[in-house]
Amino acid sequence: MKKNLLKYSLVVLGLALGTIGTAHGLAFGHGSPEVDPSLAISALTLLGGTLAVLRVRRGK
Amino acid sequence: MDSDSVSTGDNCSQSAPFFALPRHLLGRLYLFGALAAFDYLACFAGRGAVAGRLKIFGLQTVTYADIPLFAFVVFLALGHSKWKAQQEDIPFGRILFCCHLLCMAAVLYITLVAQKELGWQLYDPFSYTKSALYILGAVLLALACVPLRCWLGAIHSTGLLWLYASFAGVAGWCLSSPIRFLWNADGTALGVTMQTVAFHVVRAVLGVFRQDIVYDPATFTMSTPRIESTILAGCTGLEGLGLILLFTSIWLWYFRKEYRFPRALLLVPGALACIWLLNIARLCGYVLIGDAFGSDIAEIGFHARAGWISFTIVALGFSMLAQKLIWVRRIPAAVSYPAGQPGSGALNTVAGASEESSEFRGESPAIRPYLIPFLAILAATFVSKASSGYFEWLYPLRFFVAAIVLWHFWPELKKINWRFGWLGPVAGVVVFLVWIAPTLWAHRYASSRLGTDLAALSPTARWAWIAFRVAAAVVTVPIAEELAFRGYLARRIISRDFDGVSFTSLTALSVGVSSLAFGLMHGEHWIVGTLAGLAYAGVLRWRGRMGDAVVAHAVSNLLLAAWVLGLGDWAQW
Repeated sequence: MKKNLLKYSLVVLGLALGTIGTAHGLAFGHGSPEVDPSLAISALTLLGGTLAVLRVRRGK
Repeated sequence: MDSDSVSTGDNCSQSAPFFALPRHLLGRLYLFGALAAFDYLACFAGRGAVAGRLKIFGLQTVTYADIPLFAFVVFLALGHSKWKAQQEDIPFGRILFCCHLLCMAAVLYITLVAQKELGWQLYDPFSYTKSALYILGAVLLALACVPLRCWLGAIHSTGLLWLYASFAGVAGWCLSSPIRFLWNADGTALGVTMQTVAFHVVRAVLGVFRQDIVYDPATFTMSTPRIESTILAGCTGLEGLGLILLFTSIWLWYFRKEYRFPRALLLVPGALACIWLLNIARLCGYVLIGDAFGSDIAEIGFHARAGWISFTIVALGFSMLAQKLIWVRRIPAAVSYPAGQPGSGALNTVAGASEESSEFRGESPAIRPYLIPFLAILAATFVSKASSGYFEWLYPLRFFVAAIVLWHFWPELKKINWRFGWLGPVAGVVVFLVWIAPTLWAHRYASSRLGTDLAALSPTARWAWIAFRVAAAVVTVPIAEELAFRGYLARRIISRDFDGVSFTSLTALSVGVSSLAFGLMHGEHWIVGTLAGLAYAGVLRWRGRMGDAVVAHAVSNLLLAAWVLGLGDWAQW
């Protein structure tokens, strides 16, 4: 039960706070350049790709 | 890097139907989620949708969509492992799906009629009809993708998960409003506190470098002879804190079997502290760079990209530390080794066990030559643009970095089939025509400062910049992007061991997703970018040779370069 509670709490926390990213773009009149979608996509692609490379199997 | 870890992609004889729906429960749930999201975007979030009209039975969909969205994501995420084991083939309801399409077509028709001709009232019959049709369409879609008995089985097999997911949906919805409010925190107690702390820390740091900066604590403004900067509430690191919290939460949850809890959670505040400190460095850098090189570089280049660079550094640092730090990693009770593997039958050390545990879940070693050239270009782009104002004077860096990385991996890459036939150039010409079609249709070029900025350079600098721009577009970019999107991503969607998947075995899903990802990398040109990706992937699947896709891409870019240079349509670059 303790394990499940931690799991669910983490997911809910992550999802709720994840709305920050989208909320930033939806916020009233906030025109930060970080919201530029192509910039965000480039950064997340760079991060995701690098993480994939870092998790390469050590040997076959 | 294993010497034989790069497959040519055309040496495998396995084949798969080009278009095949997922057959099992988990895949169908993903399919339902994707199609439902598409329906929502098509019906409510398109260009024609106007704020205040996005209502279902009078409820704002933008606000309340959070509830089913969060609930479904939590339901899917937490039930994932349970449903993954279910390998029963389930039928797809074609008739129900067609009825769903009719409902959605009717919703779109009513939307267009209501908006353009009849006007829109919240409680008019069109609103209720549209709402009822949308709900009906969603239900039909759910039943088409997953039959009712399978839905009931999925809910039954996961106990009270549906209840947890519902609570999560409501909790996410409840929290989303105050969180959105944070981004408009100027003048609020929280915003002022964050501004005050950031302002004084930045002031202390800048004091080490410069003594002539004028500070105004009342307005959180710092002034130098060349630049004036105000720390707004939104600039105090909230975005970075939120993104890092999201990233670390998802990371620790996704790899939860690898970590010890709750001690692994201690990494999270460390990551949050790092991103906040890097934001302070960004604010200091903004002032110093703006004063040294002008506000263009500080504002246009550095300001936005430094934030994303900081996020990437902290996220990578967190994930690497979480993988290396034995103290937070779980000791597997027993690591099963394939027969004959070193370590079989022996009691392993913590480090050895952790490495072996992750070894069997990791990516194929062949990923490196396929992905690193493209990642190098992305990293170089961030550095180049962060160092530039409107004009990206450091563009040649992208070419050099890509060329060096491709050269480094060439011993592996040369095993790929780079031959090509007539189809590649023909596809390239077609993609070019599609790319410029919107411009031809509009009979005017979009505005761009690039031509003016280039004209301000000396002739030598101008032509050198253009030469590197064309060389990158025609040589390094096509190779790196085709390797990443078609060579890796399109095949990785099919199998974790992507290098064992033949190019001729690409499926509609893998082609579609990789092409969409490719298109999204092209900013405002994302639609034609996606079409271009489909064309290159189609050429690759048809001929089974990477060379054809690369040549198609190179021809498109070459013709586009000729168009830009010949007609001065600089916005295309």
